[in-house]
Amino acid sequence: MMTLLKYEIYRRWRWLVLRYAALIIIGAILLNRVSSPAYHYEFIGEAISKFFLTSGESIGKFILTSLVIFMIIIVEGINMLKEDLFEECGYLTFTIPKKGRIILASKLVLLFLQLSFWTIINVGFGSIFFSKLPYREIVQIETQINFYFFPIVLFILTAFFNSVLMIHFSLTLTKTLLVNKRYSDLLSIGIFFFLVYLIEKVCYGPLLNQIKNISIEIGSRSNIDLVSGGYTAVFLNIILIAIFFTATAYLLENKINI
Amino acid sequence: MEQILKATQLSKYFYQKKALDKVDINIEKGKIYGILGPNGGGKSTFLKIAAGLLKPSQGEITIDNEKLGVYTKSIVSYLPETNYLYKWMKIKDALNFFKDLYTDFDVERARESLKFMELEEEEKVTSLSKGMMGRLKLTLALSRKAKLYLLDEPLNGIDPISREKILTSILDSYNEKVSILICSHLIYYIEKLLDYVFFLSEGRIILAGNAEDLRNKRGMSIDKLFQEVF
Repeated sequence: MMTLLKYEIYRRWRWLVLRYAALIIIGAILLNRVSSPAYHYEFIGEAISKFFLTSGESIGKFILTSLVIFMIIIVEGINMLKEDLFEECGYLTFTIPKKGRIILASKLVLLFLQLSFWTIINVGFGSIFFSKLPYREIVQIETQINFYFFPIVLFILTAFFNSVLMIHFSLTLTKTLLVNKRYSDLLSIGIFFFLVYLIEKVCYGPLLNQIKNISIEIGSRSNIDLVSGGYTAVFLNIILIAIFFTATAYLLENKINI
Repeated sequence: MEQILKATQLSKYFYQKKALDKVDINIEKGKIYGILGPNGGGKSTFLKIAAGLLKPSQGEITIDNEKLGVYTKSIVSYLPETNYLYKWMKIKDALNFFKDLYTDFDVERARESLKFMELEEEEKVTSLSKGMMGRLKLTLALSRKAKLYLLDEPLNGIDPISREKILTSILDSYNEKVSILICSHLIYYIEKLLDYVFFLSEGRIILAGNAEDLRNKRGMSIDKLFQEVF
């Protein structure tokens, strides 16, 4: 798998460097604006209001840049498999003597690495921006970060990979059913939304309701419901990830028509 | 004689269209076979199935007595008609890719072949002409020590000088341990290589036999026979 991962990185290293360099440079420029000393303002009051204006604007711009990069990572994560399925390079990818799960895993590992790198940059800049705020503001924000934090992070991470794998599965199933490219996008989107509907109806809805009922029965507080629901959703996502990974790898190895 | 590939009643449908219709093909070790026929006759479809890129709709196919899968991909070297190399690659990257992913890839043989084909390792694959790309693809395919070579239209769009180089390379790669299956509609150029031929039209085999026997029996070259049949 490491060999395939190496070539996945080779295939797109210029774009990888460019996007993270852009995020770091923009972050550094915005940080520099926030870090400018306030003493050149005539009055203390003006300095404070200027600081909040500049820092708010800079943090907003950084978040926006970061979201754009995040969207690019998602699109690329989808295209990594789509290119091989629908372009001529698939003749190379799918004639190498590797199992479907290895080919798929190499793409997902690169996506995970990209996501990790994006998170590290964001956490890094976020912490620095955060430290620039007045002490009173820091204390106020810190009290707002409660114990929902970890279930939410886990949920976002598993939901992200679940969604990407659902798209991969939809694309692979499309390539199993259709040989030519015409209507393939339409069919892939149709399969994806059908899966979303199915999962909501069969999986998330009933189980989360069940958790809620159990929590009510034992007389727990509402925040316990949310935490239980959050971890249940994470658990469901992990099961769905395993299902979609296995199904996609099986189709890649045994059923697709390139 | 030991068989390397056996296809029994192999069919492939694309919706209503039958690309292959109950085809029986057996490939023995140590021989060069030609699947000949007009465009759209099902030649490439058969090769793509054998390479593991298409799944048959009906029938069975085994290579080295194994069902198609990772093992068969490891002993089959497939040359597609399309420009399948990644666009970011230089020739040296393609060599490294094959070296890393195919244990039977012989880098020294590939480098010698590149010299013979007059190709530079530093050249980008996107800057190659059609003839140069054809020579590179053949270099990569034939530098593997595979048991079965599947060559899809190796001469299509290739200039006469490159054609000679390609034919020489194919002959150099041949020995009694390997089998070569060539699909082409340019019969005149490849006829001299072939031990056995299959004429494929509209997904069906309409004529098959030993090339020498067919020439003697019909009193004409395979190329002329092809023109007569189609």
